[in-house]
Amino acid sequence: MKKTSIVGKNVRKLDSVEKAMGAATFTTDISLPHMLYGKVLRSPYPHAKIINIDTSEAEKHPGVEAVVCYKNTPRVKFNTSATSTFTIPPLQPVEDQYVFDSVVRYVGDEVAAVAAESMEIAEQAIKLIKVEYEELPAVFDPLEAMKTEAPLLHGQCKEGRNIPGEKIHMEMGDVEKGFEEADEVFEHTFKLPVQKQAQMETQAAVAKVGVDGRVTIWSTTQTPHPSQRILATIFGLPYSKVRVLNPPYIGGGFGVRIGLSAKAEPIAMALAMQAKKPVKVVYDRKEDFIASDTRHSGYVTVKTGVKKDGTFTARKMRGLLNAGAYCSWSAETPGVLGAMGLSVYRCANQMYDGHSVYTNTTPGGAMRGFGNPQAMFAIESQVDIIAEKLGLDPLDIRMKNMMKPGDQWVLPYKCQSSGLEECIKKGAAAINWDCRGKVEKGSTKKRGIGVGIGSHVSNAWPFCGDYSNAYITIHQDGSVLLATGVPDMGTGTITTLAQMAAETLGISFDKVSVTFADTESTPFDIGSHASRTCYASGIAVVAAANDAKKQILQYAAKKMEVEEEELQIENNNVLAINNPEKQLPLNKVAVDAHLEGQQFIGVGKIVPENAPPWLAHFAEVEVDTETGKVKVVKLVAAHDVGKAIHPQIVEGQLHGGLAQGIGYALSEEIKYNDKGQQLNDGFHKYMLPTAVDIPELEAIIVEAAEPSHPFGVKGVGETGLVATAPAIANAIFNAIGIRFFEIPITEEKVYKALLNKENE
Amino acid sequence: MAKTVLKMILNGKPVERLVSFDDTLLDALREDLGLTGTKKGCGKGECGACTIIMNGKAVNSCIVPALQAMDAAVETIEGIGTVEKLHPLQETFVDYGAIQCGFCTPGMIMSAKALLDKNVVPSREEIKEAIAGNVCRCTGYLKIEEAIMAAAEMMQSQQGK
Repeated sequence: MKKTSIVGKNVRKLDSVEKAMGAATFTTDISLPHMLYGKVLRSPYPHAKIINIDTSEAEKHPGVEAVVCYKNTPRVKFNTSATSTFTIPPLQPVEDQYVFDSVVRYVGDEVAAVAAESMEIAEQAIKLIKVEYEELPAVFDPLEAMKTEAPLLHGQCKEGRNIPGEKIHMEMGDVEKGFEEADEVFEHTFKLPVQKQAQMETQAAVAKVGVDGRVTIWSTTQTPHPSQRILATIFGLPYSKVRVLNPPYIGGGFGVRIGLSAKAEPIAMALAMQAKKPVKVVYDRKEDFIASDTRHSGYVTVKTGVKKDGTFTARKMRGLLNAGAYCSWSAETPGVLGAMGLSVYRCANQMYDGHSVYTNTTPGGAMRGFGNPQAMFAIESQVDIIAEKLGLDPLDIRMKNMMKPGDQWVLPYKCQSSGLEECIKKGAAAINWDCRGKVEKGSTKKRGIGVGIGSHVSNAWPFCGDYSNAYITIHQDGSVLLATGVPDMGTGTITTLAQMAAETLGISFDKVSVTFADTESTPFDIGSHASRTCYASGIAVVAAANDAKKQILQYAAKKMEVEEEELQIENNNVLAINNPEKQLPLNKVAVDAHLEGQQFIGVGKIVPENAPPWLAHFAEVEVDTETGKVKVVKLVAAHDVGKAIHPQIVEGQLHGGLAQGIGYALSEEIKYNDKGQQLNDGFHKYMLPTAVDIPELEAIIVEAAEPSHPFGVKGVGETGLVATAPAIANAIFNAIGIRFFEIPITEEKVYKALLNKENE
Repeated sequence: MAKTVLKMILNGKPVERLVSFDDTLLDALREDLGLTGTKKGCGKGECGACTIIMNGKAVNSCIVPALQAMDAAVETIEGIGTVEKLHPLQETFVDYGAIQCGFCTPGMIMSAKALLDKNVVPSREEIKEAIAGNVCRCTGYLKIEEAIMAAAEMMQSQQGK
């Protein structure tokens, strides 16, 4: 690959000084003249029909300017997730929600909302709304919800009782024949918990309706363009009359707002349209926990046929996820779970079946990894079980079976590069794999080392449509405005995209500014998710930069009387490659062109391929056999990211994923009581890792360049937690000889398991 | 609602604002004084996004009644550095990649500043302890701890001069 001067460098991130100074604007910081505050009334029941709703007292309350419920908001069904805007036919998006409905389907479901002069008044007013409910039977477990006696949440579904969307089936080879060829067959079922994104900024939106009917929505969405379409459709407006933008920062996402920010946007919009004043809706932390998407809980079953030497002959998987009360991403997540689960190991005979099931719980949706962490906890736990049974080293069985470029797999794109072997080798060295089992074991504190490997995607196709656009405008002074529709939710998007633009154009990094995440100033982009921004949006930015560059060189060629092909741009100068003395500063070229009536405007319009990043995670743990407490001592994440545009950002993504992976493995879970109430509804009750829980972290960057990206990039945003939980679970097994088929592996579970083992 | 004049020294300057008895210090800072750098992450003192320094101590401003700040010296993220001269913590948070979404950053920096104002040679454990009440969901804390260590070193050498 060509030598780069900006790509690959840890330039100062474009957003970081503002953020360090407290000067960065987030949706929750926005304040407009005459702005009102919205507050939502939520269902106390998991399933109920609203027999009567009386809002008259609330409407009369001084300071209240709008009250909305199902009676005075659009009866247009939608899906809060962006899936509804890019589901590819013949699949159809599942649209099963209204802004408000006359039936509530989980504790926290929206019943009504009020806009008032102050938050205090809004809070008082929602208490004045009188609602008469008729309770309906509720169901909380996906296995129960498929039974014939289970209540129907959304009427008859074509694929089965309470099953949203289509069932997923994937198959290659002959699975039954593969099991016949096996010397041993292993089958296990794993149970996965509800994990919460717990991003720091809660769901929020500010809606302003102009006198001309145009609507502006500042919000926390990860996908302004698809959200524009969802909102315009709900309210029956031309897309061009609805502007959705980040202001421009978002306090994290991790998938929780791929599409709408729960219902913050449509509720703010409904209230603003009625009040004819701007309305701000900010979810409090409890609302964010109980009334916005979570990671899917569920069950994953893996059956694997193996030869004595460890060769996999067949694999059959089944994924059953808890959709919660509304579909959100529940039609897609089982597909990614299966596709990722079948794509890490080479195996000629594979089959997957999966789907979600509606229940009366908070909707399951997208969270970093999107089904993949569920798949890999199951698979990587089982691979360890197989290695143990066959007496093989866990690394050897993985190296023997791992997918390589050219191998056949279920995905419709090619694996064109893999640095997985290097990831495994470097990671193993960093964790001291050779000391595994040789670590001195104290009497009550047992140490163990474990591994998990995996892959992921670099954009959303083929699970849904995916494309990106970008504009590059060259100003008359030679500086550059890059316009991209993707947000920067902390992942460094604008910095890495600006690096790619500057590198392609041959200009210095400080000459690039970025306008982003705004439907009015940027072309369509499907947004920040699926580890796609650096890959897919990056390809579009490079295409736009190349388009602008071509225009510059064409113009300069005439001025300089040199063939276009012989010109290059370096250090803000257009120069002849073979005669560098012959050069013109870019600002001179740009202003000359301007005086002759021309501006260089590059357009990038691309449909990306896809590319698998590869990863190997290693964990060392110490289990206190007296208390059951698991302490993670060290985590190593070796990732093939293709090319690190900004290595510090890549490390940051991996560290953050590892921390969330520790939580997923050991402590994070939202549980329910028998009334359908969420028991873990705030930071005090939801145990996510804090600084004192973080062990030594080591991120290792491996760069096996990806041919389908101009700089060789693969996705990295989600990969950091894909194989963290199984690496930790496998390390726990190595330490105490107990296998856990369910996460989180809490102190209590370990303690009980140790007692059971003693009593055996 | 009855209102009272809150007087305090905010970022080195005396200010007066009418506040209600049930306003939190966070409300007063964000809503009345327009200092939105301090964030609200939970409203219950559980996440640390609203951390400010009051009379030298890091506190969760979302659970401090505004009137408790009467006559107090209050420091917020807006008061500790300028674009021309960032505070060493702001400088190192930027340079060490300690900032991702940025929502926890102001509170995190203020917790760290409260530590470093008293102790410029903190151990790694003291740093972890100082920010144990500040939730960050993006970074995994490692680069934050490195940034605080580096800022401590900068402050040591500045004090040595």
